[in-house]
Amino acid sequence: MKSRFHLRILWPFVLILVVSLAVLVLLFPLVQDSISQHALETGGEANYLPIFALVFLILAIGLMVGVLINIYYTNQHLSTLEDLSDAAKELGEGRFREIKIPEDVGNIPEMQDLADALQKTAYQTEEQFNTLSKEQAMLSAVLENMTDGVLIADDSGNVQMLNAAAEKLFKVENEQAIGRSLVEVMRHYSLVELWEKTKNGNPETITMELGSAHKYLQVIGINLKKDLPGRTMLLFQDLTQTHQLEIVRRDFVSNISHELRTPIAGLKAISETMLDGALDDPPAARKFLIRMDNEIDNLIQMVNELLELSRIEAGRSNFEFQRSKPCEMISNAVERMSFQAQKADLLLTQDCPEGLPQVLADPTRISQVFVNLIHNAIKFTPPGGSIHLTAWQEGNEVVFLVRDNGVGIARKNLKRIFERFYKADRARSGGGTGLGLSICKHIIDAHGGRIWAESEENVGSKFFFTIPASAV
Amino acid sequence: MSRFTLDQEIKLVQDEILLLGSLVEQAILNSVDALQRRDAIAAKNVYDNDRKINAKHHAIENHILITMATQSPLASDLRFLAAMLEVNTELERMGDYAKGISKVAIRLADTDYAIPIREIQQMADLATSMLHRSLGAFVAGDIVAAYSIPQEDNQVDELYESIYRKIIEGMIKNPDTISLGNQVMWVIHNLERTADRVTNICERVVFIVSGESVEFDGMEEEHQDE
Repeated sequence: MKSRFHLRILWPFVLILVVSLAVLVLLFPLVQDSISQHALETGGEANYLPIFALVFLILAIGLMVGVLINIYYTNQHLSTLEDLSDAAKELGEGRFREIKIPEDVGNIPEMQDLADALQKTAYQTEEQFNTLSKEQAMLSAVLENMTDGVLIADDSGNVQMLNAAAEKLFKVENEQAIGRSLVEVMRHYSLVELWEKTKNGNPETITMELGSAHKYLQVIGINLKKDLPGRTMLLFQDLTQTHQLEIVRRDFVSNISHELRTPIAGLKAISETMLDGALDDPPAARKFLIRMDNEIDNLIQMVNELLELSRIEAGRSNFEFQRSKPCEMISNAVERMSFQAQKADLLLTQDCPEGLPQVLADPTRISQVFVNLIHNAIKFTPPGGSIHLTAWQEGNEVVFLVRDNGVGIARKNLKRIFERFYKADRARSGGGTGLGLSICKHIIDAHGGRIWAESEENVGSKFFFTIPASAV
Repeated sequence: MSRFTLDQEIKLVQDEILLLGSLVEQAILNSVDALQRRDAIAAKNVYDNDRKINAKHHAIENHILITMATQSPLASDLRFLAAMLEVNTELERMGDYAKGISKVAIRLADTDYAIPIREIQQMADLATSMLHRSLGAFVAGDIVAAYSIPQEDNQVDELYESIYRKIIEGMIKNPDTISLGNQVMWVIHNLERTADRVTNICERVVFIVSGESVEFDGMEEEHQDE
């Protein structure tokens, strides 16, 4: 291979040499005769100098032509080589797409081999690179979109990598966190302790509450000595919601037991009194029976509400939608609750503008919502106060309002009152199950409306709900 | 001594300060949590944990003094180390406040005194959140945060006033609660003082960054006078 290349570069010289020698050999006998004749005629010595000069001239011209041809060839090779080396450089820098490998390499097999090899390398590297970047993209997409936080620390306790969930958890940005110490990023001693324990040991799991935000976390520390020596990974699972649900469930069990215990204890006391002799005193017995009846009503209401709620929540409740007049629903509710309001020394009033569009609603259910809301208003408004019902149209829905001037609801409780079993003021809510507003919300949701409350403490509360107007 | 070692030492002390801060933060939250759950054992844990906080405080103090003595820090480094010495003390005091709250929690665990716990929790959340961010501002030299955090102290003061009135009203209505109410006063006093000490940390941040000495308490009082 090498010799071939050398030959190709050397052939002009060889050619020139051969041609020059041929000229010399062919011309010399001819010229020699004439020179020796000329020498005889002039009587001097034979002068071969011009002939040698001529030969040298031919040789010199031949050499120059050879050099020129050689320069031309070398240039051609050099520029091909330059192109190839540029291509190799680009390959090294990873610019596979911009790479330009010369197709015409001047008919030199070695160059062609090199160009082909380079082309193949470029193609294969690009393939591998694409596969790797696809894999990497997939991995980083998983990391960035997973809800669990992931953080990797090096052996001196500096953060090397963290994903979006971890950034959010610790309220830091990636650029700020990388290279910083664990305590500076996570700001919690338990997590630093977990890292210290796991960096040379077995995986460990802790549960903890993170700072004033009260995030409830399960954190798993795993050292990655198999794949990435010295690195430790911390995995954060946010259990705040689960924890809250747990609390809600615990509250529910304690609430419901408490709520059930009160009427049952009352019933027990009454039945004991009657057994102890009150039964023989018919007027007293009758009074006790009425009280028992009331307590049983309370129990029935509670159980019914629980059943109702679980039915609505399971979507098994049947709604009978029909075109209804908003004002009719308001006046029905007022009529139904006026006695209770009167008993609590409250003024229950209504006003309903004429010409409100009809709504598609289940009147029984909406009446249930009104009863719940008015019932709450009665409970939380001191004697002498007032409760007012009204409605108006807003866009293509009708807004209903139940307003009282009672004790109001603290802002921090306002967004939670529609939760099951949530009681903002346990002392005042008395016999309630904490289910009423939750039922209301489910009923209004089923109507495609919204329900919300506005309130100011010691000024009063406003409960709004909307029902879409009937299309026809 | 080489520059590299001094930087390293400062970084180490800084991390220790942040660790101590986290211990204190958690101690305050845990003490209030124990108060809410009337959990005497949890309260006792916070109480005992104060020893850990004190030990850490001493260790940091030593570390800073040794660094000062052996590394001959100058200008901003010296300022930062001196400021850390002060922040260290502030944190130790806050730890004592947590200990104080846990003491009350132990005493109230077996009573049915109506503690205005939601407001107290709000106060504790606010104070610890201020503490958390002030230490962040301290290590980052974030002067903007250092100026804005002390303004939240007003909210803590408002909560303090409102709980204070609630307790007094309770005492007037039912004089039997005077002794227990007084205990709860200590809790809110400690939380209020915690927030005050956070403003001290913020003053240190301004000092490190700009070399200026500001008094955030003074500023607020002026506002209040207006």
